[in-house]
Amino acid sequence: MADDSIIVQQNHESKYERRVYRYRKRWANMIPTQFVIQNAGNMGIASMGFGWNYGNRKQWETDCMIGYIPRHQTSRGKLTMTVKENYIPWSLTLYKGYSIEPLTASIYLNTVYGHEFWKTQPGRYPDKYYEFMSTKFRLNIALGQRFTRQIPLEKRKGCKSISLFYEISTCDLYIRSKIMDHDVPLKDIIGLSLGIKLQTL
Amino acid sequence: MYVTMSVSLLFIYACGDLFDIHPYDVNFHGETDINAKQITRIENEFADKDTLRVAFISDTHGWYSDTKDEILDLNNRRDIDFVIHCGDLTDTGTAMEYEWIRDILGDLHVPYVGLIGNHDFLGTGDQAYMKMYGSMDFSFIAGRIKFVCLNTNATEYDYIAAVPNFDYMETEMEMDRERFDRTILVMHAPPYSDQFNNNVCKAFRRYLDFFPGLICCVYGHNHNDLVDDIYDDGLLFYGIDCAKHRRYRIFTFTPDGYEMEQISF
Repeated sequence: MADDSIIVQQNHESKYERRVYRYRKRWANMIPTQFVIQNAGNMGIASMGFGWNYGNRKQWETDCMIGYIPRHQTSRGKLTMTVKENYIPWSLTLYKGYSIEPLTASIYLNTVYGHEFWKTQPGRYPDKYYEFMSTKFRLNIALGQRFTRQIPLEKRKGCKSISLFYEISTCDLYIRSKIMDHDVPLKDIIGLSLGIKLQTL
Repeated sequence: MYVTMSVSLLFIYACGDLFDIHPYDVNFHGETDINAKQITRIENEFADKDTLRVAFISDTHGWYSDTKDEILDLNNRRDIDFVIHCGDLTDTGTAMEYEWIRDILGDLHVPYVGLIGNHDFLGTGDQAYMKMYGSMDFSFIAGRIKFVCLNTNATEYDYIAAVPNFDYMETEMEMDRERFDRTILVMHAPPYSDQFNNNVCKAFRRYLDFFPGLICCVYGHNHNDLVDDIYDDGLLFYGIDCAKHRRYRIFTFTPDGYEMEQISF
């Protein structure tokens, strides 16, 4: 190399590198940020799954869960799957590392597996016979509260926070019963669900 | 925070049964196997009674207030011997609905039996019915009359099941023959309705002729109170109206015949 040579270093990323970066980032967004386990809530005796939180204040969450309904007095146990959307408008810090979410509002769609359930009425029925319903899909709504513990950085291993929560929920069929006849007791159509959320990312 | 906590506790208290597993989970608390127990009561009390007063109600699904009034009206009559519910106990077959209607019908002062209607099949409803009420085809004898209660909801099985069950009907024609002289057929869906297996309507009618002293047929399903000679041959089919229309029927069976009253409440 001659003495008067200038070394030109290419500092900007190539088009390819930028593309790879975006590509990785997009897929990275799909890494679940949280794991949830909860009981009841018309999803089975217990359900577990993973989900994502997003939004400016992480006030939105989407969870995908699998649940199990024991056999009880029927012919077999059943699996259910749920897609759940949560909205958490506020988070109040109680004191260092502890916070409370005074309201969570959720809407979720649950599907139960088994030949006895159908999405819409099968062809054997006359038109609009059971048009008001699906036996397979249940739309549920829930309100709840959470208590969250932030795990200090130095003690952090698996996750950065743990939340305990409860929800009060009901489903479309029960709301329909209540609308059809106001005599239906409110306490029968709402149920409690308890759960834990582990925030991993 | 205290406010939040007390609101939480209030919520938890308000939950009653607390955890809802699933609308179609079928995990009954309280009474099950109702028909068998009630049939024992009916047969013990009325096996040889001369005059029977039987009320037929039907299609209570979802109309709990109306059904409560119906039960009240029945309880105010002191002369009813027992009640037959012609099916569609529930609207969507959920375990919760089965418990609600059981608790309402349980207030009857007299014995009752319940048939399965097409709505009672939805989801795990058929399994819930079998747990709470028992077999879908059943019979009992009161006042030397055999009440044969048949599952006629063939559409629920896409017509591949033995519904109506002719084997069962054959058995019932002969069984306990010495204990009855007359027969009444009770079903949820009548012949030629959207639930009946209409390919066998005529065969069904032929089978009815083999029942000793067939009096008439009683059905629900249509939510009206028609009295029809469906086959145009003199055999009457009595439709029982739904709870919403606040009508039911009382039959008085005497050794010579029967009388029918249409009740509005």
